[in-house]
Amino acid sequence: MFKKPRYIFRYNKNPKSLITSFQCLTTAALPTERIDSFRCVINNPLEQNEGHIGQFYRVPEDVVSKLFSQGGLPKSFRIQTKTFAETCLMIRKPSIDIINCIKNLDFSKPVPRFVLYGQKGVGKSLSLAHIVHYGYEAGFLLVHIPWLGEWMRRPKDSSPSETKEGYTNINLDIASWLVHFKNQNSLLLEKANLKTTQTYKWTKREETVANSNLMDLVDHGINRIKFASDCVLALLNEIKQLSKSGKCKTLVAIDGFNAFFYPETRIRTEKKEIVHPHNVSVTEGFLSLTRFDWKNAVAVLIVDELAIAEKDQTSYFPRYLLGKDGFEHLDPFIPVLVNGYSNKEFLSCMNYYRERRWVQPLPGLDDELSVISSSNPYKLMQLCAPL
Amino acid sequence: MASLKRIFFGKHSFINQRNSIYSLIQQNGMSQYPSYYIQPVYRKEAQEELEKSGEIMKITHVPTRAALNDQTSSVYQDELVNLFINYVMRDGLKTLARGLVEKSFENIKRIQLEKYHKAKTEAEKQAIEINPKNIFHQAVNNCKPLLYLTPIKRGGVKYQVPVPIPDKRSQFLSMKWLIEAAREKERTVHFPEKLAYELIDAASNTGKVVKRKLDLHKQCEANRAYAHYRWS
Repeated sequence: MFKKPRYIFRYNKNPKSLITSFQCLTTAALPTERIDSFRCVINNPLEQNEGHIGQFYRVPEDVVSKLFSQGGLPKSFRIQTKTFAETCLMIRKPSIDIINCIKNLDFSKPVPRFVLYGQKGVGKSLSLAHIVHYGYEAGFLLVHIPWLGEWMRRPKDSSPSETKEGYTNINLDIASWLVHFKNQNSLLLEKANLKTTQTYKWTKREETVANSNLMDLVDHGINRIKFASDCVLALLNEIKQLSKSGKCKTLVAIDGFNAFFYPETRIRTEKKEIVHPHNVSVTEGFLSLTRFDWKNAVAVLIVDELAIAEKDQTSYFPRYLLGKDGFEHLDPFIPVLVNGYSNKEFLSCMNYYRERRWVQPLPGLDDELSVISSSNPYKLMQLCAPL
Repeated sequence: MASLKRIFFGKHSFINQRNSIYSLIQQNGMSQYPSYYIQPVYRKEAQEELEKSGEIMKITHVPTRAALNDQTSSVYQDELVNLFINYVMRDGLKTLARGLVEKSFENIKRIQLEKYHKAKTEAEKQAIEINPKNIFHQAVNNCKPLLYLTPIKRGGVKYQVPVPIPDKRSQFLSMKWLIEAAREKERTVHFPEKLAYELIDAASNTGKVVKRKLDLHKQCEANRAYAHYRWS
């Protein structure tokens, strides 16, 4: 039914050519007016465009608590938002590029996969947060894993799967992800009235009958943590079917996606053997969402060095991080490089810090910091902390 | 006799020579630099000043020591903070000490900014000092004692005699007290956190360290009767 898409990109380092070469797209209209300030007046990501690159926009508090209360914003950034008494994200080129692509996407075509990659601390996760906010405003069903490393590197528990021989469940993490999913999609699920297509039998007495609400499935996973993993598999399957039949649009956003392909997890079986991520029961469901054999969806993934063991953090390129299997699984995908701050972004960030009174104005400070931090946003944040 | 004399003087002169060599080494201490090496001028403004006054021509060809690790021309470098970092340091773990002080500066900012955002009127907001360096300087200044007690033996009895304190000593005591106060904490509280609170307290002229200074002053006041032992 689905043919492998013809466009093939590998290591397209220049994001500009990304837009022009992407078949389904028309070039976005460039903005006519430009506001020379570090604060963006438009807080709705639906209306932001390339003219706003480098500016900060405020994410409303209720949206933050809805989308990111269970994760999605890095911890160091969350501390900053508390100190600044507001959550402001910088509008950056990679996220705007991807949002423009999504806006002009033909959803009857197979699912495009965007892969954000870049060095540590350049703002991949916050770019994803921006895209997730866009997805929320644009009415996508969000399948968002805030940080896969948490499941694979620091699982809260593990138990052998009862339904699938040789598989391991990480039910506590999965149950908390279901809460996250429920938080993010509660409004949409109420409105869209999505129904399950088949009956799922959990035990003799418990079952989720066909044509029941999708939320019932989620609630069952949360209430009966023992079945959380199976619930997620069922849920992801349903989401795929629903999107295929055009009942909803789905945004799959996974941070630290390469952890699905890194063999050394910290999950152990009862015999203390290391579990390969493919033997974690939920992996299959999420991997099936990142294939191109469905439609009405878009996948934005991050490959990150931090999702794998420290000894192997030698390169940030997708081919290295995904490995052969992962690369072939995603191929063809659209790589999007996230860079450190450009000059304009750096200045805007420093202005924002000064306005929030985080950094005291000092002549010559900007030049020095831009050199020392090498325009890496995370390093800059750390350097500015004691100033 | 003559030979004896020669030996004596010869020996004497030898000892003298050895003494002078010894004193030369002593003067230079453990330094890897010979004594004629001059101290580096590492601040940009100081260099410009030298250039303006023409002094720079005098030292152009004089061998100069390399600048120390913490002597940088960075715009946010601060001598007093560097000194403080050295006082915090234990076992030569300078990176750790610097990290602790920087973290406590960050905490100061977070605490003050929280107050700033809570304040309702503009005037209240303006009154809150956020710059951690200013708070630090203010705190050190507020904790400096004016007098201290020194034991002086008179008639077989040691008296605690109040004595005016040199500026450097009082600065040292002030910083030492601040660090000691910050180290006196629960195990669960981290040093930077406690130091931040101590600095903020001291900057507003309250808190443990300022009280310690006042206690010392009180003690000096009580012992004023012994003050004349300083010179008699």
